[in-house]
Amino acid sequence: MAMNRRDFLKVSAGTSGSLMLSLSLPGCSGMPTGYVQETGEWKPDAWLEITTNDEIHFTLARVEMGQGTYTGLTTLIAEELEVDPEAITPRFAPVAPEYRNPLYKLQLTGGSTSISTSWEPLRTAGASARHMLILAAARVWQVDAAECSARQGRVVHPNGLDSMRYGQLVELAPKEVIRGDIALKPASEWKYIGKQRRRLDARAKSTGTAVYGIDVELPGMVYGVVSRSPRYGARAKAFNESELRAMPGVLDVFEIERGVAIVADKYWRARKAQDALKAEWDNADALSLSTDEVFASYRKAADEDRGESERSEGDYDAAVGRAGKVFEAEYSQPYLAHSTMEPMNATAWYRDDSIEVWAPTQAPDLGRIAAARVTDLSPDDVTINTTFLGGGFGRRLTQDYIEEAAAVAYRVKKPVKVIWSREEDTQHDLYRPAMLHRMQAGLDGSQLTGWHHQIVGPQLLDWYVRNAAPAQYPWAPKFMYDTLGKVGLLAEGIATPRDMSAIEGAIEYPYNVDNIDIRHTHTDPGVPVTFWRSVGYSHNGFAVETFMDELAHETGEDPYQFRRKLLAGQPRYLEVLDRAVRLAGWDTPVAEGRGRGIALFKSFGTFVAQVVEAGLENGVIKVYKVACAVDCGQVVNPRIVEDQIEGGIIFGLTAALYGEITFEGGQVQQSNFHDYQLMRQYELPEVTVDIVPSTEAPTGVGEPGVPPVIPALGNALFALTGKRQRSLPLKADG
Amino acid sequence: MALSLTVNGEQRSLDIEGDTPLLWVLRDELGLKGTKFGCGVGLCGACTVHLNGQPVRSCSTSVESVAGGDVTTIEGLANGDQLHALQEAWIAEGVPQCGYCQSGQIMSAAHLLANNPAPARDEIVAAMTGNLCRCGTYSRIIAAVESVARSSSMEGSLAYDAAVVGEAN
Repeated sequence: MAMNRRDFLKVSAGTSGSLMLSLSLPGCSGMPTGYVQETGEWKPDAWLEITTNDEIHFTLARVEMGQGTYTGLTTLIAEELEVDPEAITPRFAPVAPEYRNPLYKLQLTGGSTSISTSWEPLRTAGASARHMLILAAARVWQVDAAECSARQGRVVHPNGLDSMRYGQLVELAPKEVIRGDIALKPASEWKYIGKQRRRLDARAKSTGTAVYGIDVELPGMVYGVVSRSPRYGARAKAFNESELRAMPGVLDVFEIERGVAIVADKYWRARKAQDALKAEWDNADALSLSTDEVFASYRKAADEDRGESERSEGDYDAAVGRAGKVFEAEYSQPYLAHSTMEPMNATAWYRDDSIEVWAPTQAPDLGRIAAARVTDLSPDDVTINTTFLGGGFGRRLTQDYIEEAAAVAYRVKKPVKVIWSREEDTQHDLYRPAMLHRMQAGLDGSQLTGWHHQIVGPQLLDWYVRNAAPAQYPWAPKFMYDTLGKVGLLAEGIATPRDMSAIEGAIEYPYNVDNIDIRHTHTDPGVPVTFWRSVGYSHNGFAVETFMDELAHETGEDPYQFRRKLLAGQPRYLEVLDRAVRLAGWDTPVAEGRGRGIALFKSFGTFVAQVVEAGLENGVIKVYKVACAVDCGQVVNPRIVEDQIEGGIIFGLTAALYGEITFEGGQVQQSNFHDYQLMRQYELPEVTVDIVPSTEAPTGVGEPGVPPVIPALGNALFALTGKRQRSLPLKADG
Repeated sequence: MALSLTVNGEQRSLDIEGDTPLLWVLRDELGLKGTKFGCGVGLCGACTVHLNGQPVRSCSTSVESVAGGDVTTIEGLANGDQLHALQEAWIAEGVPQCGYCQSGQIMSAAHLLANNPAPARDEIVAAMTGNLCRCGTYSRIIAAVESVARSSSMEGSLAYDAAVVGEAN
């Protein structure tokens, strides 16, 4: 990233003798950045605060949901500040334009972007603060600043003996002016980047003291539950309000837009009242479909409309017309739930014409819009306090749970915590969309001459833009919200980025094939959908890498060699592919009753290859080993990279083995972990993660472990059974 | 109903509806938020606490059924400022990702080691299989439990474990 660091560094003395250093990111076009003279407003993207007592606070603009921002981003700033990351206290950022993710122009954490978008700015912030502290010390000592150094929170005198604590310098440092660019430390001098292995949040999370949304406690707090229509989109016509009001502890029963709210003095009393709820729903506008109809509608749409061209190279139609053989396959994937271990919840308190919300959210600025929507307040009257998140995986990018808590709090005018049950969390999720893929390839002998991929299904921004577009324009009047949502849809690239959710991973098809035709048939059956750990990559990865495997077998080639020969000139793909193969012992015979499958997929800038070894035991699929090579550029915390990749593998295997949300008459059929299963400890395969050493800029690791493992497992089962499974989840008898 | 129970060594008296799950009593009546709500039906293990030395799913255990009992939660695992060896191992191994399930994981592991200080790997797997982790920290969990099983650092937790085993017997 090219930037002039002087352009975005603004320094000023904070109150109470602390040094506040802020920076603003370039690239926020359309928004003023830095310090605005007229309004006296700051536009930092992240800031440090160092106190006279040597406390160092770091405002964390990306939420911590397990992926490791709390440690990783702190490590970046600590490295250049010359302090131990453990000496820094991170705190979660409030909503402010300065904390927006520059890629989305929204304050959200997702898309495996936290490290990549913070890599330059946070190190620069740390280096700049350090530099000013050194300048201040040099002025006190009357020595050349270039002769001074910084170490463990102190500036060291050229004599190597004297030193001053950062805390002693914070009143002086803001007066210093940085001239010229600040050099970042060369990699050879890094103490923490690439070496830090501990997690800064491990202690709080091992002692039960980390505060998640569900743990928020407020004086006089009451509890709310919301009964939502079993069929998405229905409204309550009538319910036994007076009967429920007479129940112990029940304080209020009323309808909100999303269902029937019951408020009680204790959570369990609210739940018991909910058990006694008898509601009649007006199903006129409600979802009525079943899963079979979803796929039937996809096939119909695919037949009628070949879709918008998303990538076209050469002349596919001509190539396939003269191909010796045309090979076709259709793949399908089901809806998937997120199943964060912490069910959806939010706490809200409406008082004095403002509302304060405490929530585990991936997008607090969208949470503000959600709360403003259901009250008479503007987003500026809404304060969002972000907590630790008990899992996110994209679910907490949508703010329906904040909307509910705000609507309930607005009515009861007391602090109220709304908690979803696991059943509600499963049945009223917004799902990873079900998708259909039609693949076709032209083969001349063993030569792949044409690649056609038709993706059929919805786009996520159709669902997401409702609150996202207003969040980008928080000054817009509320009556404009729905209009903004629609404009955001129509004016892609202006209010919202181009919607890549359906096609991501498909259009980056990496293999050297002369004729390529990739299309998206946009069709939306009305089931609520949203982002899900690797989203489009997760379904496109399965389609692309399974079809590649089918083509390899069709041509009689080894699936590894078949891919390899089509990747000439793509060293990063080849490197991870070769490494995974070596790690797995691809060339050695596999044990009796087992098969090996391979897949290679790049997502979020990160290259991942995996070899899965699997078999069938007692009528169930057993995954024995996953060998994985990953190239995510420069590694900040090797242990977190391993953990994220391994966690992604388990997330992907869970989807491959179990993941399936089905609808019957508009209702979700699954409810809890007995019928929406997650992989358990006893199923854990032996996972080996090999990280390619790299000095390239870092890319994300939260999601890229997921996509390849699903086709790699399917390909392993094919190698074992000779039967190809083209829909998920995979079956032992498939 | 009025009832009392011992929680982390302290006698606590309550006036509460008897069918309230122990989980919500611990969290909302006693302010012990370290025990988590995950599924409400004993399928995920996030709410695991020890009752008279045995691991139970507090989300599906009514408070009346444990009246007079002795409950230990994640908050009661440390010996004053000294963390339980498993907590130290969890930190050293960097087990938690989102961390939400980890109180329950640690309570399950603590029960295992209190009764079987040197479990084999398959014994660890069996003991930990009732605890779900959506982040996929399973291999780090095994490594952390194994590191405690191997080391003599259990000595620091012997007081607690002796009490647990004593009650269990």
